[in-house]
Amino acid sequence: MIKIKKSEFSEFIKNLQKNYSVFAPVTDGKATAFKKIKSADDINNKILNTKRSPKEIFFPQSEVLFQYTERGMEVPKREEKPFAIWGMRNCDTKSLLMLDNVFGEAHQMPKKDMYKDPYWKEKYDNCLVFNLACNEPLSTCFCNWFGGGPFDKTGSDIFVVETDDSYIFEAVSDKGKKFLKEFKTAEEISDKEIKKIEKLKETAESYLAEKQDVSSLFSKTKEIWDEPIWDEIAAKCVNCGACAFVCPTCHCFDVSDEGKGNKGKRIRLWDSCMFAIFTKEASGHNPRSQSTQRVRQRVMHKYNYFMDNYDEHLCTGCGRCVVVCPVNLDIREVIKKILDYKK
Amino acid sequence: MIQNLRTEVKKLLKDKKVDIVIGWEKGSLPLSSTPLFIHKEEDVDRLIFDETCRNNLTTYLTKDKRKLGKTYDKVGIIVKGCDARSIVLYSIEQQIKRENIVIIGVPCNGVLEKKKILQKTENEEILELKIDGKNVHLKGRDFDLSIPLNEVLCDSCLTCRYPDAPVHDIFIGKPRKEIDIKDEYKKVTDFEKKSSEERWEYIKEEYSKCIRCYACRNVCPACYCNECFVDQNDPQWIGKTPEVTDSIIFHLIRNLHVAGRCVDCGACVSACPVDLDLRIMNKKVEKEIKERFDYTAGLDINEKPAMASYCENEKQDFIMG
Ligand code: SF4
Ligand code: SF4
Ligand code: SF4
Ligand code: SF4
Repeated sequence: MIKIKKSEFSEFIKNLQKNYSVFAPVTDGKATAFKKIKSADDINNKILNTKRSPKEIFFPQSEVLFQYTERGMEVPKREEKPFAIWGMRNCDTKSLLMLDNVFGEAHQMPKKDMYKDPYWKEKYDNCLVFNLACNEPLSTCFCNWFGGGPFDKTGSDIFVVETDDSYIFEAVSDKGKKFLKEFKTAEEISDKEIKKIEKLKETAESYLAEKQDVSSLFSKTKEIWDEPIWDEIAAKCVNCGACAFVCPTCHCFDVSDEGKGNKGKRIRLWDSCMFAIFTKEASGHNPRSQSTQRVRQRVMHKYNYFMDNYDEHLCTGCGRCVVVCPVNLDIREVIKKILDYKK
Repeated sequence: MIQNLRTEVKKLLKDKKVDIVIGWEKGSLPLSSTPLFIHKEEDVDRLIFDETCRNNLTTYLTKDKRKLGKTYDKVGIIVKGCDARSIVLYSIEQQIKRENIVIIGVPCNGVLEKKKILQKTENEEILELKIDGKNVHLKGRDFDLSIPLNEVLCDSCLTCRYPDAPVHDIFIGKPRKEIDIKDEYKKVTDFEKKSSEERWEYIKEEYSKCIRCYACRNVCPACYCNECFVDQNDPQWIGKTPEVTDSIIFHLIRNLHVAGRCVDCGACVSACPVDLDLRIMNKKVEKEIKERFDYTAGLDINEKPAMASYCENEKQDFIMG
């Protein structure tokens, strides 16, 4: 482990920018998001959960897949430098591993030789993830339910702890080790600082609400699939896409063609199973025409179907949906209701 | 007040005057209440009504999703002034039968705007909220704050003329008549005074934040189309990207679709996850309609809505010629 002083942070970011396009949490207007930054001044390390999740760096809300004219088609040119993401939290770094299961291969489960998405891979495969420990989790954080935590390092290349005067770096992946090795200016950290980290970790964990045992969530969701409990769960949902669009793990998309005359483009766009139109077929038939069916789909995908495919829940407990839901349909309560349900 | 409300609701259920009552209960976050659907008397004690009851529950009466107004013969619904006006709108537009709805009015002192509160705490999380009369007490991990209630009420509430349901079957307490508001359109007139470049910049900046989640549309009582124009894809009327040009078209068309129908309940504003200023354009349209047709949405069940009537001596200065 090594450290840099806070006073050296600007310089550090500047150096990082030589080889990487650097993204970090910023306040953009009234909303917060991960954006490509110009300098360290743009960064706001206080933001715990950006309103918009960092999945959009790799899987943007709208992405041109190709453009065409009568002379042929072309894929738009991308950024040449690899991406470095500063300031992700554990619930976000873990979400990238999940999305990579779907779109990529770096973390795909062995023998699950599935589709590899070139648009995802070109951004994700060479990226460098700095995971900033959460010194002060929010009351809506429930990463501990799903095996994460404010000081958990899963999914990061370099794990960073912010202390009062420095940032302490620990290499987690090979990529991270290689990066830290090339560091010349940083100092090694002392035992006192290791103790400090321990203390910060303890405090952070004490802020989290009680952990819920979700080990039976998978079997339980399967058991209750056609029970009336879903009507009760879904009653207040207005089927907007707010929860899915702020979620770091939701990844459904739609493909839309925008053309005029001989020119046009094909775009990939976020979609959500909460929208009525999501499953509407060309015939007009809609297998999920009811709100309840759509809410069930979202919950099942997160806590059952994804588990079936990849052995983990498609939820990192970041709590973003809890904060944005306009009717306060709290996913933690949904989980508790399901776990408590008796047939 | 709350005891009287609960007693009334229990009575309605007991006497089988309603099959279901829609109200609010305490939410899971300090600043939130959450919709409550009451079928049984024993759930009535969960009912609350206070400054966190932002949602316009009448939205559950219509729409593809619930159509509670059609599923049940008799629906009781607890309403603030603005919510009651949405029911008037539904009735005029024949989305519900007025006699099927039991409108239960509650005295409204305005509801809290989360975004304003978070500005006060500089985005620090709120862990505890208490309201006593004119003050709001907020507690977080490192702060303890008291602020005057009217600094954190929704903009809609600050200019609301009809806080108590102008149309109702039951009212808990005594409804106030129209309140005189002086500067109702101040924000709009200030906005109108800006140069067109400045206005365009503002609109562009606001609408570029939109993530097209449609929370605003889906909570809105006036947006109940079975298929919204943005969802149609054959033909596809507008682009589906969050690019500002597409977003602006979505919002401006929605503004026109709710023209003369918006009751300024603020549901859209509080639902928006990215804090977009949705009110300025709605209020601008409302002001135009007020000035041109002297019409206010949702006050009179027998009045023809502004956009559904025609009169020869209306101002026609919008026709170029
Ligand atoms: S959910 Fe956990 S990892 Fe995410 S911000 Fe909260 S404490 Fe950090
Ligand atoms: S759960 Fe909440 S945020 Fe998600 S679709 Fe339903 S109403 Fe919208
Ligand atoms: S547009 Fe907004 S303020 Fe107007 S009725 Fe709809 S939700 Fe309410
Ligand atoms: S709620 Fe906000 S972000 Fe969502 S569609 Fe409406 S304006 Fe856009």
